[in-house]
Amino acid sequence: MSLFINIPEDSEQLPSLKTGQGKLLWIASVDHKQIGIMYLWLALFFFVVGGLEAMLIRAQLAIPENTLISPELYNQIFTMHGITMIFLVAMPALVGFATYFLPLMIGANEMAFPRLNAFGFWITLMGGFLMYFSFFAGGAPNAGWFNYVPLSENNYSSAPGVDYYIIGLILTGIGSISAALNFITTTLTLRSPDIKLNMVPLFVWMVFINGFLILAAFPLLNAGLFMLLIDRQFDAHFFIPSSGGSAILWQHFFWAFGHPEVYIMALPAFGIISEVVPVFSRKPIFGYKFVAVSSIAIALLAYSVWLHHMFAVGYSNTVNSFFAISSMLIGIPTGLKVINWIGTMYKGSIQLTVPMLFVVAFLIDFTIGGLSGVSFAIVPIDWQLTDTYYLVAHLHYVFVGGVIFSIFAGLYYWFPKMSGRMLSAKLGKWHFWLFVIGFNLTFLIQHILGIIGMPRRIYTYPDLPNWELMNVLSSIGAVFMFAGMVILFWNLYTTLKKPRSAPEDPWDAWTLEWHTPSPPDLKNFGEIPRVYSRRPLWDLKHPDKPDKRLN
Amino acid sequence: MFQTTNVELIDKLFIYFLVVAGIIFLLVVFFVFYYLFKYRRKQTAEEPEQIHGNEKLEYSLTAVAILITGIFTYLTIDTMRKVQDIPDNPEPFVQIIGHQWWWEAQYPETGVITANEIHIPVGKKVLVQLNSDDVIHSWWVAQLGRKMDMIPGITNYVWLYADKPGEYLGTCSEFCGAQHAGMRIRVIADEERAFNSWSQQQLEPVAQLDDPLFKKGEKLFEEKTCTNCHAINGTPFTMKVGPNLTHFASRKHFLGDLKVNNEENLRAWLHDPQNVKPGAKMPNFIFSDQEVDALVEYINNLK
Repeated sequence: MSLFINIPEDSEQLPSLKTGQGKLLWIASVDHKQIGIMYLWLALFFFVVGGLEAMLIRAQLAIPENTLISPELYNQIFTMHGITMIFLVAMPALVGFATYFLPLMIGANEMAFPRLNAFGFWITLMGGFLMYFSFFAGGAPNAGWFNYVPLSENNYSSAPGVDYYIIGLILTGIGSISAALNFITTTLTLRSPDIKLNMVPLFVWMVFINGFLILAAFPLLNAGLFMLLIDRQFDAHFFIPSSGGSAILWQHFFWAFGHPEVYIMALPAFGIISEVVPVFSRKPIFGYKFVAVSSIAIALLAYSVWLHHMFAVGYSNTVNSFFAISSMLIGIPTGLKVINWIGTMYKGSIQLTVPMLFVVAFLIDFTIGGLSGVSFAIVPIDWQLTDTYYLVAHLHYVFVGGVIFSIFAGLYYWFPKMSGRMLSAKLGKWHFWLFVIGFNLTFLIQHILGIIGMPRRIYTYPDLPNWELMNVLSSIGAVFMFAGMVILFWNLYTTLKKPRSAPEDPWDAWTLEWHTPSPPDLKNFGEIPRVYSRRPLWDLKHPDKPDKRLN
Repeated sequence: MFQTTNVELIDKLFIYFLVVAGIIFLLVVFFVFYYLFKYRRKQTAEEPEQIHGNEKLEYSLTAVAILITGIFTYLTIDTMRKVQDIPDNPEPFVQIIGHQWWWEAQYPETGVITANEIHIPVGKKVLVQLNSDDVIHSWWVAQLGRKMDMIPGITNYVWLYADKPGEYLGTCSEFCGAQHAGMRIRVIADEERAFNSWSQQQLEPVAQLDDPLFKKGEKLFEEKTCTNCHAINGTPFTMKVGPNLTHFASRKHFLGDLKVNNEENLRAWLHDPQNVKPGAKMPNFIFSDQEVDALVEYINNLK
């Protein structure tokens, strides 16, 4: 007897761009592939916006005592840069890949809840637009993406920006929760009957675990946001110390969400890496079980580490010790994954395609970000270096070196499946080198800036020895990254203008999505092949030496 | 007597971390590039041997990782307890209060109240009490001790220690609004005698000059409602919204260490505060040149 009831497929055709030509179908479509692509366009659009904000930040900080941007505007820009990159770029991009490929990888024709899927996308988009509308409604949020109270309370931020932040994030949070519900239910109920849970591709596995992380983390954020909204709109006192509230309660809500959020972005990114490395090393993933189980360990530990964002708040040594230990422990399953990816390359036959190049850059740069992260678990080091540019460098090595590089790897890897066209490898390599060199130039040096004392979130800085030199180098790096992005856009534009020519399985890969036409038809699978192992297409291509049968 | 300071303890821990992290990083780089070159695809390559993993290797590497974690847990907790050993009934040497966007300092023993330039004696661990008057700030002078948040409604303590006389720079390290960048710290460590004479001088009554311009400035200071925010000891004006200005002219910098305290900067500030420090709480009073002359004469003689 099955633990879960299989959800029957829709008997009537669901609305999709492929069923008709009407413009309204753009917003009526519930096809998971279409919605996945729209998520990716959303992420790409906001990546441009957030990227331009980053360029403004680097322009302002290139020289000391710069007056290019006023402090008021700078604070809005760095706040929106953080919110945009996290909630409107990294998350939608990863949710987009998952929405597109999760059903395909488990032999399903749709998500479990197609309409909820569409709802999740549209409410995320609305949340994003609402937050940006604040620029025309009296000023954008300006209290940082972390929005600490009491600075974000009426007394100190009377402009409506913070209210837009609250409502916008509540909306995108609801969108994320609906996506997570869908991922979990789809994985549990819509797998092809042959595929047991320990046979799903690791990307599916990570997205599945990630669903639980989202379901438990976002309600914390939304609860805190509602409390702040009540404070601001109805003069309550949850977070106002002068009338009995607490100035650090918000930090607990925010980081109890905020640290799992880091893994909410990292796990699907790890999933992409776990798909790309094996295909281009021509070997199965090294230690499937370890990669899968370590994700569960990460998900559980992720809820017990949030206080490491608050080591400077002044809790007792006992409290800090607990969170120091849990924060160091979470480094172990993450480090194990890096070993597994490198192990996959061992004795392989490595093809340095563009997706694989991004994986190599990921392995190096994410290791830097992971290791510098451990230094914040060592409490006394945190007491010196937290909230400096050392931390800015660390978080960008995790988010860009870890998450964004994975997204690029996934984009080059899956683009032929999604569009039916191969992205130019030549332009892809230009994009890769410019972006990766620029990234390291921008952020490696910021470790040193932090160590010599430059705090983060400052709109300008005094002319102290070497500060200008290092900041100029950092800003030059940003220009390289910008150039890399221009090339990516040029690549996308020219490729999309060409006719469809990509074969079904251009990379000679092994998971089920490559068993459909590029791009897949509205109904993904006419007939699903029998699946006996984790690599159904390997078994089909090598009937003489199939993988060990698992069902 | 040789004693390791808190800052040295933390630096040592950071060096240990750098060595271990550096070794791990180099191993990762080595294996990634070694495999990349060694196992690069050949033109006529067949599919390589399909290796699915090696559990023994994974378990032993996990054990190594747990061992390293254990060592650093011990070092962390040990250092933490040495650096942050606050007595049960703390008697602070100085209380520092964060304001948007300046620092107030009160010395309970002597009763000295000053702003922004904070004096401490050299060669002595001084206990500092940290509070905030509005939003969350964070106190950080890297060479003197750890960073600690200043949170409204909560009292925190840190140790500061300067081993040689001089000026130590720091900065507010928690985002606190428009002029977070303009909230810098300057701690001046004096030899015992110099510190004592500085305290003495800060306790002197407010300056009185017979100069008519000074008198005019003093009058303007009251008439133009400067006194609604700024206290001057020995006068009826005790409001503590802005910095206490009793001995303003004895400070070498002002505006949260943003500007050198000279006549030119003071004039610019009085003429248009928003131009000098955008977002600052000081209103623009639209003083005439003559009024600024008088106010500068008055304030610059508050030694």
